[in-house]
Amino acid sequence: MKNDLWVEKYRPTLIKDVIGNEEAKILFVEWLGNKRRTKKAVLLYGPPGVGKTTLVNAAANEYNFRIIEMNASDTRSEKAVTRIANPATSFTGLDKFSSEIKGNILFMDEIDGIAGNEDRGGVNAIIKIIENTRAPIIMAANDVEIEKLRPLKKVCTLIRFQPTRIPLIIMALKSICEQEHVKYEFVALEKIAVNSQGDVRSAINDLQGLSEEGKTLTEQDTLALSLRNKDVSMYDTLKEYFAVKNIADAANLLNYSTVEYDDLLMAIGDNMPKRYTDTVKLAEAYDFLSQADVFRGRIGIEHWHLLKYFYNNLAQAASVDPESYKPFEFISPPIRVITLFWTKSKRTLLTSICMKIGVQCHVSKYEAKMIFVPYLRLMLQQRKKANALAEWLKLTPEEVTFLTGLKMF
Amino acid sequence: MSVNEGALMWVEKYRPKTLKDVVNQHDIVESIKAFMRNPKTMPHLMFAGIPGTGKTTTALCIAHELFGMQNWRNFTLELNASDERGIDTVRERVKDFSRYSRGAFGDIPFALIILDECDQMTGPAQTALRRIMETSSRTSRFILICNQSSKIIEPIQSRCAIFRFSRLERNAMVEHLKDVAKKETVNISSEAVERIVDYAEGDLRHAINALQTAAAYKEDAVVDEKVVSQIIGEASPKQIQLMLNKAINGDFMEARRIMYDIIGTYGFTGAEIIRQMQKELFKISYILPEQKAEFSNILGEYDYRLTQGANSDLQLSALLAQFVKVGKALGESS
Repeated sequence: MKNDLWVEKYRPTLIKDVIGNEEAKILFVEWLGNKRRTKKAVLLYGPPGVGKTTLVNAAANEYNFRIIEMNASDTRSEKAVTRIANPATSFTGLDKFSSEIKGNILFMDEIDGIAGNEDRGGVNAIIKIIENTRAPIIMAANDVEIEKLRPLKKVCTLIRFQPTRIPLIIMALKSICEQEHVKYEFVALEKIAVNSQGDVRSAINDLQGLSEEGKTLTEQDTLALSLRNKDVSMYDTLKEYFAVKNIADAANLLNYSTVEYDDLLMAIGDNMPKRYTDTVKLAEAYDFLSQADVFRGRIGIEHWHLLKYFYNNLAQAASVDPESYKPFEFISPPIRVITLFWTKSKRTLLTSICMKIGVQCHVSKYEAKMIFVPYLRLMLQQRKKANALAEWLKLTPEEVTFLTGLKMF
Repeated sequence: MSVNEGALMWVEKYRPKTLKDVVNQHDIVESIKAFMRNPKTMPHLMFAGIPGTGKTTTALCIAHELFGMQNWRNFTLELNASDERGIDTVRERVKDFSRYSRGAFGDIPFALIILDECDQMTGPAQTALRRIMETSSRTSRFILICNQSSKIIEPIQSRCAIFRFSRLERNAMVEHLKDVAKKETVNISSEAVERIVDYAEGDLRHAINALQTAAAYKEDAVVDEKVVSQIIGEASPKQIQLMLNKAINGDFMEARRIMYDIIGTYGFTGAEIIRQMQKELFKISYILPEQKAEFSNILGEYDYRLTQGANSDLQLSALLAQFVKVGKALGESS
């Protein structure tokens, strides 16, 4: 049972079972039932998860329409729209006489997803079809205030959906809990409903995610919910990243994380050895990280289309061996930052010493570091001529002390 | 050999002052002497070769011969391409300098600019340098010094007479060290000198520094092989060696800790660390040559990835992880 999505399992098939938005429901049913409707298309709009699609499906079911659906995943160029929509809207099916089917409904979901280049001419094609259609056309959108939908709005009946009221959501959740035999604290359902902000779909998804068979759903369980609709932080990204079950999960997570990718790469690199204790797996994961970094380098400041390969390698690094995952404590802040912070004064001293050597002995800082410092520190440890030598190089007492105590690299 | 009495580092004290004293680079010295006979015809010069073979010394000798021991500093600008902050600094300093010194001295119509470590300059910086060389050619001559001439862009190469400094011959180094020892009245055994020369791998400054340190350890007694070995041990990159050993023997966390320790204290770049790992890898006695080759390939791969990537710590960590993996496989097979 746990595998079935409750949003699908409990999707209402009758108009009366669709919760909330009573006014919109009435307007829609009137429009659909009216054979002499003034406008042949209707545009349902409102926030996600309030029942637009559900209402269309329930109405089609009750009134015996067959739905021909196009949604955002189809490309809506003019060609594509005409190819699918024309046959659906211009002929009445042969089965009209033999069955109870009244005809087709063309349903275009997420119409506001018509965007830029990919859906070139899409809006115009839709308008053309609306002009010629014999079948009712239903469209749904979250946002109708966008410019490119303006011509469409003129030829449609507009029906507005509002966020579903919280008490209604609570009732729906309660009913699902009873059918699924999930025990619950009422406060927990309340929290889920409030947190959904009127989005029934997300509330049901949350409920399914939180409930466990044979366990009571408590308010405590709902604390994790507060993260919905917020940026996924570094900590949460890492937590999920290292625990992913497969590469798809990892890719999905990286897609949603808003953590800056350079910081993310550094943090993942720091923590990788805690994730994989097996040396072979660790080497494999690091190899992916290294390649991710190579892509990061290639991106530079302009080749951003390469970013997907960067993320792809990160996702591969996360899913080298999902079974071996055990929770661990993260290293933070980044090792590099800590290391370089605490050693900054050392490096400053060393640089100053190397420059002084460079002036006297005509060598670069690097050469001074490599072939003078190792010997100079030993010479200065031998007291006899140390003072004269330090004086000749113009080293301060502090620099001399530093050099004589310096460990070889 | 003339001696720079004031200098307390022997490298500087016994640095040759005149071209004829430059150790073991006869062909180059002869060609340059030809330029010196008519200095006005001297082109820009490029000196390429491994460290410690006399490139800087030769450049300084040219300055001495052109302007005289008293005045050369006034007419010579020594710059370090990797130390100076970018090409703009080079441009400004070269401009100021060539304006200031033009025609100020006798019959040498130009100032000398010695630019060290040119191969560390980026492509755009080199292009800018090329322009600087062009605009200041009336007043300046450049001596560009680098380890690999192939890393210098073609237009600059074509503007220079290129001299390749070869690795110093063993005998020449031995003779030179013995000479320095004699002048410093250091009593040193032949074996000890040989040991130093072996260790220095053709870098004369390295050898002289080792000699001076050994002499400081054995103030009045004979400097023998034992002391030299001790010095070499003390001055060898112990932490790099330790990091390699930890990685090959499977301790990733410790290897990485040491890596950060080295970077923190010495500020090495990723490429510099890999260069040293490469050197130390071949000194490890307990792994076979074929296995060293395998490790060396990993170093090569990550040396390349460093040039492509953005985060050198991450590349080094990944490198160490590969070492751990291969090291473990070797341990299991033997």
